[in-house]
Amino acid sequence: MSASARRRPDPVRIAYLAVNGAIVFFLIAPILIVGVFAVNPTPYISFPPTGFSLRWFEKFFTSPDFMNSLWLSLRVAVAVLVLSVLIGAMCALALVRGNLPGSRFLTAFFMSPLMLPAILTGLALFQLYLLSGVGRPVWGLVMGHTLVAVPYVLRTTLAVLHNFDRRVEEAAAILGASPIRVFFEVTLPLIRPGVIAGGIFAFIVSFDQFPISLFLVLPNSETLPVVLFNYMKFDLDGAIAAASMVSIVMALSVVIILEKLIGLKAYVKL
Amino acid sequence: MLRKSVTRRRLMKTGAGLAAMAAFGAPAILHAQARTLKITTWGGKWGEIMKGEVLPAFEKEHGCTVQADQAFPFVPKLQASPRNDPIYDVLHTNSNEQWKCVVEGLVVDKLDARAIPNLKDVYPYAVSDKIVGVSIFTSAIGLGYRTDKGLAKPTSWKDLADPKLAGQRGGYLIPVNSLGQAHLMMLGKIYGKGFDDLDAAYKALEALKPIKLYDFTGQMEKALLSAEVSVGVIHDSGIYRYDGTNQPVDFAIPSEGVIALEQVLNITPGTRVKELANAYIDYMLRPDVQKKLAEGVWYSPSNTKVKLDAKYDARLFNTPEKVAKLIQMDWKWYNERKDDIDLRVARILRG
Repeated sequence: MSASARRRPDPVRIAYLAVNGAIVFFLIAPILIVGVFAVNPTPYISFPPTGFSLRWFEKFFTSPDFMNSLWLSLRVAVAVLVLSVLIGAMCALALVRGNLPGSRFLTAFFMSPLMLPAILTGLALFQLYLLSGVGRPVWGLVMGHTLVAVPYVLRTTLAVLHNFDRRVEEAAAILGASPIRVFFEVTLPLIRPGVIAGGIFAFIVSFDQFPISLFLVLPNSETLPVVLFNYMKFDLDGAIAAASMVSIVMALSVVIILEKLIGLKAYVKL
Repeated sequence: MLRKSVTRRRLMKTGAGLAAMAAFGAPAILHAQARTLKITTWGGKWGEIMKGEVLPAFEKEHGCTVQADQAFPFVPKLQASPRNDPIYDVLHTNSNEQWKCVVEGLVVDKLDARAIPNLKDVYPYAVSDKIVGVSIFTSAIGLGYRTDKGLAKPTSWKDLADPKLAGQRGGYLIPVNSLGQAHLMMLGKIYGKGFDDLDAAYKALEALKPIKLYDFTGQMEKALLSAEVSVGVIHDSGIYRYDGTNQPVDFAIPSEGVIALEQVLNITPGTRVKELANAYIDYMLRPDVQKKLAEGVWYSPSNTKVKLDAKYDARLFNTPEKVAKLIQMDWKWYNERKDDIDLRVARILRG
């Protein structure tokens, strides 16, 4: 092949790059626009910006309503992460290893919270809590979020378990490791990618959860998405955009912290 | 083998740490406290004044706790809660939702005037046959407009249909917004035989296209401020609250009249703190509380004895002559037809 032929642009490759570029732009553009709204000083959301100001970030960080709701959202999301990882991983292990009758039906059953509109799940839980006399405690909110977060952990852990080479466990057992030691030193490290990926999903699903929270939050103990929704009805200003930017930074921080602590690069294939 | 293996100890430590973090500080609200009044209330500036001044003062006076829910939707939550132990003791909504609630038995059909002494001092519209409960404030729905677009101040509801405003006029998603619903009934009156002339209203609505539609009044406010629309249906409070901020917007009172957007309080029949609920409504009607909120958010007070400062007195509906101009809609009539109306307007405004 001649040098001139090698330099000729490949239309397929150009189309491929263009499509990828368009997808990346489509994903990033909303974040960029929200970022612009957040630093625009006008008392309403507008584009193009008329200047640069951090007044909306100041409003967000000095508002007790926003700060309390951000703190509550974080607490709930962390609790949901822990619970859904424990429940989802154990369910996945039982479904793959337990020789349970009807395991396919059980898998579909555990995934079913994702099929029901979340607003109905929220309403149903709200009614259940009130009828059983427990009111709307924070743990009830955590349970509601966990209900929709567990399927993510379950699915990602199942994916890992289905590709699991059990001969590694058998080798450890033959070499004298107890079942508990095999689990913690062989099984768990190998399923860790699925569990961690599911846990990240669970955290984000909870942190951004709106339809379920709408019914389960208690007055003066509202999560950030609920506070933002109600704020938007009366004051549609840049504080909403500032709150969104803070949420995005928080989510990114979680991913970066997990990357630093346990290394996520190996799990990108998930 | 794996460089960063998960050991049992590390896992347990991490799990316990995260669980402790999650649980730390979580309010263990397992049982409703005695003498707790559960109410609904708005957010925004109204919510700031309520939570900052009005409710703490009531709690102090009555030795109780007020649990104020600002998270919509109020009515579905009330519907889903037990009738004998409702989630709210006092429901604050606009009039259309109160009518929906009274039909379902979620609020009482009449307040006890003996238990709420300030009821005797309200304007007749606040307890008229168009109201379930009591309207503690009202704002006036009219036309908001930009003053920097070379437009003449609107004088009639018909001005919204000016062809020059194509794509520059603003309305609401009628199924979800009571201002949009009230405007639809007004179109029936202006272009037809009366507020119940839906055929005329639909035809007039069709003629308003292209029109920008919003969910909430807050969004309409910002659309006017950002010049996304030049003229829009809005209540006076949504414009007057920018008084003194040099925003080029103003409020126009159409010659055919303004529509009352009532802020209505009512009691749930199953409340276990009825006395406190009555006391709360009486407190909200007290002249000093009415003045504070009226001047805070530009709402017209219902109590005839309220003396407003000059700039509020000039604009708000606070005299018998002024309140006579308020048009109250028949929400019972509207709610009975709402599903059909929603379908029809969705077809008209589609696209």
